[in-house]
Amino acid sequence: MVVPLISLILLCPLAAFAVFGLSGLVNRRFPRQDYLSTVAMLAALVCSFLLLREVVPSPESHTVKWISLGGVTFSMGFYLDSVTVIMLIVVTLVSSLVHIFSMGYMHGDPRYPRFFAYLSLFSFSMLFLVVSDNLLGIYIGWELVGLCSYLLIGFWFEKDSAANACKKAFLTTRVGDVGMFIGMMMLFTKFQTLSLYGEGGIFALAANLNTGDMVWLSIAGILIFCGAIGKSAQMPLHTWLPDAMEGPTPVSALIHAATMVAAGVYLTARMFPILTETSSLVIAYVGGITALVAATIAIVRFDIKRVLAYSTISQLGYMMLAIGAGSYVAGLFHLTTHAFFKALLFLGSGSVIHAFHAMHAHGHDDEHDHAHEHSDHDAHGHEHGEDPDSRHILGSEIPADQDMRNMGGLRHKMPITFITMLIATLSISGVPFIFSGFWSKDAILGGVLGRAMEWNSVHHYILFIMALSAAGITAFYMFRLVFMTFFGEPRNQEMYDMAHESPKSMTVPLLILAVLSLPVVNILWFNESYVKPPPQPHLHAPQHAYVSPDSNTDKKGYTVSLFGVSEAVAAEEEGGHDTHGAHGDDGHHGHGPAHTIAMVLSICVAGLGIFLSWLFYHRRTLSAESVATTFRPIHNLFWRKYYFDEFYDGVLVALTVWKARLFAQFDGSVVDGIVNGVGVVTRDILAAFTGAFDNRVVDGLVNRVAQVTWAVGGKIRRIQTGAIQTYLFVVLAGIVLLILIFRAL
Amino acid sequence: MTLQHYLVISAILFTLGIFAVLTSRNAISILMGIELILNSCNLNFAAFSRFMTPPEDISGQIIAIFGIVLAAAEAAVFLAIILAIYREFGSIRPDEVDTLKG
Amino acid sequence: MEFTLKNFIFYGFALMTVASALLVVTVRNIVHAAFSLMVTLFGVAGLYVFLQADFLAATQVIVYVGGILVLILFGVMMTSGRLEMRIHVERGQLLLGGIVSLALLTLLLTVIANTPAWKNLTDDGTELPPTTERIGELILNGPFLLPFEVVSVLLLVALIGAALISRKEVRE
Repeated sequence: MVVPLISLILLCPLAAFAVFGLSGLVNRRFPRQDYLSTVAMLAALVCSFLLLREVVPSPESHTVKWISLGGVTFSMGFYLDSVTVIMLIVVTLVSSLVHIFSMGYMHGDPRYPRFFAYLSLFSFSMLFLVVSDNLLGIYIGWELVGLCSYLLIGFWFEKDSAANACKKAFLTTRVGDVGMFIGMMMLFTKFQTLSLYGEGGIFALAANLNTGDMVWLSIAGILIFCGAIGKSAQMPLHTWLPDAMEGPTPVSALIHAATMVAAGVYLTARMFPILTETSSLVIAYVGGITALVAATIAIVRFDIKRVLAYSTISQLGYMMLAIGAGSYVAGLFHLTTHAFFKALLFLGSGSVIHAFHAMHAHGHDDEHDHAHEHSDHDAHGHEHGEDPDSRHILGSEIPADQDMRNMGGLRHKMPITFITMLIATLSISGVPFIFSGFWSKDAILGGVLGRAMEWNSVHHYILFIMALSAAGITAFYMFRLVFMTFFGEPRNQEMYDMAHESPKSMTVPLLILAVLSLPVVNILWFNESYVKPPPQPHLHAPQHAYVSPDSNTDKKGYTVSLFGVSEAVAAEEEGGHDTHGAHGDDGHHGHGPAHTIAMVLSICVAGLGIFLSWLFYHRRTLSAESVATTFRPIHNLFWRKYYFDEFYDGVLVALTVWKARLFAQFDGSVVDGIVNGVGVVTRDILAAFTGAFDNRVVDGLVNRVAQVTWAVGGKIRRIQTGAIQTYLFVVLAGIVLLILIFRAL
Repeated sequence: MTLQHYLVISAILFTLGIFAVLTSRNAISILMGIELILNSCNLNFAAFSRFMTPPEDISGQIIAIFGIVLAAAEAAVFLAIILAIYREFGSIRPDEVDTLKG
Repeated sequence: MEFTLKNFIFYGFALMTVASALLVVTVRNIVHAAFSLMVTLFGVAGLYVFLQADFLAATQVIVYVGGILVLILFGVMMTSGRLEMRIHVERGQLLLGGIVSLALLTLLLTVIANTPAWKNLTDDGTELPPTTERIGELILNGPFLLPFEVVSVLLLVALIGAALISRKEVRE
């Protein structure tokens, strides 16, 4: 049952895209591409749920040989374990809901069918990436989702900002992809295979490496993680994701919040078995720094989608941090919960934007051109003159319908959007117990703190503090968003008057996602036997750690201390060793001291963040402006997004342009000089010679022949007098002559 | 009255016909030259029939009769052509009808 | 050569033929030339009589004098508009034509004089039966039936063609 189901999951969206492509080829559009794509996606969703039952006991893998080159064989295949199935469900579920949402949101767009075709292609690529059992397949899916991201960010390519944003996204992720490819090649040269699982797979082979190869393996792991840095918008390649918000909002929800950016996390999780101590730490630090920095940037954004974009970056950093810190399950758990509540937030913001869109299109008339609307809004954006960022940086203008300073009080106008977004906000802020975000975030915090306590590692304490601060800031800025958007008095009365609740096709997905933001539906992650982290043979606790090495490593070289299902470790645990932190990794309910501490702290910081946000943006007892003025340098740092764009513009882009100029000069003077020199020599010497030869000799010959012929003809033609009598005369004279001549005979 | 008498008369007629055809500036006198030539031929046929074959064989005379018929046909066609040329060129002078001149 | 009446008449016809033929060629007025041609044709008819070809002589007179000569005169009238037309002669052409003609005549006379088979064939003067009946037999009931029919068709075709060519003006 597994293979047909997976084939169906992959083929349904691909077929929907193929119908679009083929119908384009024969120049006859399929009339309802939206229904087709949506139904295909729903079918994939059903198949994914059917798969859920199939895979529970053990991972399953189906591989076929694909290409043989020399002695090397590349294979293609599925690898199906519980993580894969959960990812499949997340992707198909979010994708289906986004499809439905888009039917309302994108209604009336001139390229409406194409949008759904792209969504289908994206869904296929993402699912392909998820189920692939080898690095090559993952890479193919990886680049395909990159392509779809490019196409969809630039969907309204009439806008310069969208066109630039999609190029920026593609190029920036490409930087990471190059690293990933080098990492893949390193693994390939070492192991002569790109398959991950099985006897001859990379993981099995890597497990047998000796300690001398650890540096090399760390480098390979970090390089592959580079791909994830690009794709998941981690520092320092995060700048493309906020700009990617130029794409349609459903795209932001599906690709840039729930699925594609999470692919980086997924890849890192897949690579979990080959992560070494060093590479894990790098991953954890990148994730931690990203989580903190992105969160601080989000505080000062006014564009509702930009806030969510930085929030996404921050949350992705969380996941990376979790995986880097060894909390495999927590990271993936957060991935799924985040997928649902962040998709909900994006779709909710889309609903708000849509309401304002409709305002611009005069009431409920949805037949409008989004691209045109957007360019209008760009012009509007400048009127809100308090923008301290006068210098143009890509994406720094805020379209009026996305500017939170235009919103306020919308909870009366859009109750469903408000309630669902509030649930998502509570979830992401980590409000305890009934929201899924709390549990997953708490699992991460607990995991990191557990690792820190277990290994007595300064690094992990620092990481824990980063994560904790990020959690607090997240709560702050998310409630800032909610307060600015839905509470208070309307700031822009005109826009407020025209705003309206979105149609059913948009609110229904919101409600479904709101339900999914409750922890009940993520129950799979609480079943410890369902998702097991793979072993990490090369990740050893530092020497000063409490855990004795022999308890960590069994005979086969697999480290088992990091998950609690191992009986050996369970025995150790009862033996009085302080390994609670290690177990807390899997215990999502926080039954160790690390988890208890983490939970209490996270509740505190979340509460603090929400409270401050309430003071600033609802009660207004504290003025955000005055604080910003007081801490001007810090505010500037946040506002300018830590000068990343300026750095890239000023250093990398300028360097590239300078280099290009240099090459252009070289090209202009040296290369062109040589070419022109050759040209001059050819023209002035060779051509002159051959030209002369041609003119004198060849033409002379030809002309001479013609002249002779002409002259002879001129003479001869006199004979043809046209007078019959002359002819007759000649004939008779000839007869006479002939007779005279032959008379002798 | 030997055969040679007739042949000489015939030869003279022939030569005069040729001369007329060669020198004449008028299509109709060319026609008359041709008639002379045809007459000389017929005369030859009759003479040879008389002298070279048995008296009973008069095939030569019959050929001469055919020759007369051909002359009549030729004269008719010739005159028709002369008329057509006259309409086309406004003249029946053979030296002026020289469209074939090279 | 004995000087009999028969001989005298023969030489008279021969002279008439040759002289009038010479006139045909030399006379400047084309109508005069046509009448000279008539005389020549009569002379030839007389010579046919001497050759005991009575039917041929009659045909010569009827067809040539009665038909072709009239045709020629009609041609003269239709192309000049009146019954007289000058024959232009060019001196150089006259010279060349004369030379060629003389050469040809010399050639022919040499051949006639030097061909042995043609020598000493004299007319013995025996009276042959009239030829009309035999010609009729040969043409209509003998070996010349097919040529006769072919010539009839040829004549018909020539007449139709002549009518067609000269009718062209009318059709336009």
